[in-house]
Amino acid sequence: MPGVFDRLDKEIKVKQQQDGITALDLADLPPALRKIMRLMLRELQMSYPRLLEVMESVPETDRLTRDQLDSALLNLSQQFWLTHIGKGEKAIYKVNLRKKTGSTLAAGIWSSLNSRLKGKPK
Amino acid sequence: MSNGKIVSIHSFRGGTGKSNTTANLAAQVALTGKRVGVVDTDIQSPGIHVLFGLDEDKMGKTMNDFLHGKATIKEIGFNIGENTGDEEGRAKLKGKNLWLFPSSIRGREISQILREGIDFNKLNEGLQSTISEFNLDYLFIDTHPGLNEETLLSIATSDILIIILRPDNQDLQGTSVTVDIARSLDVPNLFLLINKALPKYDFAKLREQVQTQFNAQVTGVLPLSFDMAENASKDLFSLRYPDHEWSKSLIGVVDFILAAK
Repeated sequence: MPGVFDRLDKEIKVKQQQDGITALDLADLPPALRKIMRLMLRELQMSYPRLLEVMESVPETDRLTRDQLDSALLNLSQQFWLTHIGKGEKAIYKVNLRKKTGSTLAAGIWSSLNSRLKGKPK
Repeated sequence: MSNGKIVSIHSFRGGTGKSNTTANLAAQVALTGKRVGVVDTDIQSPGIHVLFGLDEDKMGKTMNDFLHGKATIKEIGFNIGENTGDEEGRAKLKGKNLWLFPSSIRGREISQILREGIDFNKLNEGLQSTISEFNLDYLFIDTHPGLNEETLLSIATSDILIIILRPDNQDLQGTSVTVDIARSLDVPNLFLLINKALPKYDFAKLREQVQTQFNAQVTGVLPLSFDMAENASKDLFSLRYPDHEWSKSLIGVVDFILAAK
């Protein structure tokens, strides 16, 4: 029987899938955060020191101070657009993309499609 | 992060020749000695496997299996260089480093994805893993036409985006939408490629007009070709007929890809 931990873990995972970021949300982020998120998508995950390193490469006009970066990371994490393991300097961040929801067509249409496709001539 | 570049090929509307162009560009880049992958993210209407001579019987594990946790990226990569078949064009890829990561063409598996949706964290992990696990120089992504979520994800992670359009007002309007989105996502290299241009057009003038309209580099103008239509996706046209006008224009696009930072 699943324990309390399993249930909570499942609830968090469902919430993450529902609340993840979309590519269009990325487009609306400030330039420095967008750069970080794009790079994080490519690297799959980024440590806090690596985030600071990337921020240094952002043009000065768009660059965030360390406090601004910390606050942005907290904000993105609270929206479930980022997930992280560990805290502070040891944290490792990952982008959390929103799941594409399945079709809202009646479920019966798919089983009907399946049976028709199974019977199709080779 | 691996240094491999992601090249997304997109068109706002269907029928622009996107899969054909993607397959030919990937093959031409592989001929230069680069390590190349091609991912079919058009999960709901896959087709690029046909150009590489892959059918349902030869197709092993697919991106659908990966998305459902039933296969690793290593298991999906189909080595084209070792399975070129007899067609004259594809045969030139023998021994080249080119892999295809196909989407399933089984109706049941397509309908499963449509029904259950797509875990984009998993899809992105798959795209990035193809580069690192196969040590790719270039990963070409064949996208679904229009702007759906998987297409937007591939645009967001691209180093190079090539938007294919026909000289048609519907295509031109749709392309402006895609260009706007690509710019708002900071895609580093945004290229346009005109396909199916009537031979009677002045190609240089057409290129200049489109370039001015979108303020983006037009990498080539490919003519509308009956020879290409006759090929019917049986073979890689530019490898089979390298001296054809269509092929020569397409090979010109490769230079832009290789030069992109």
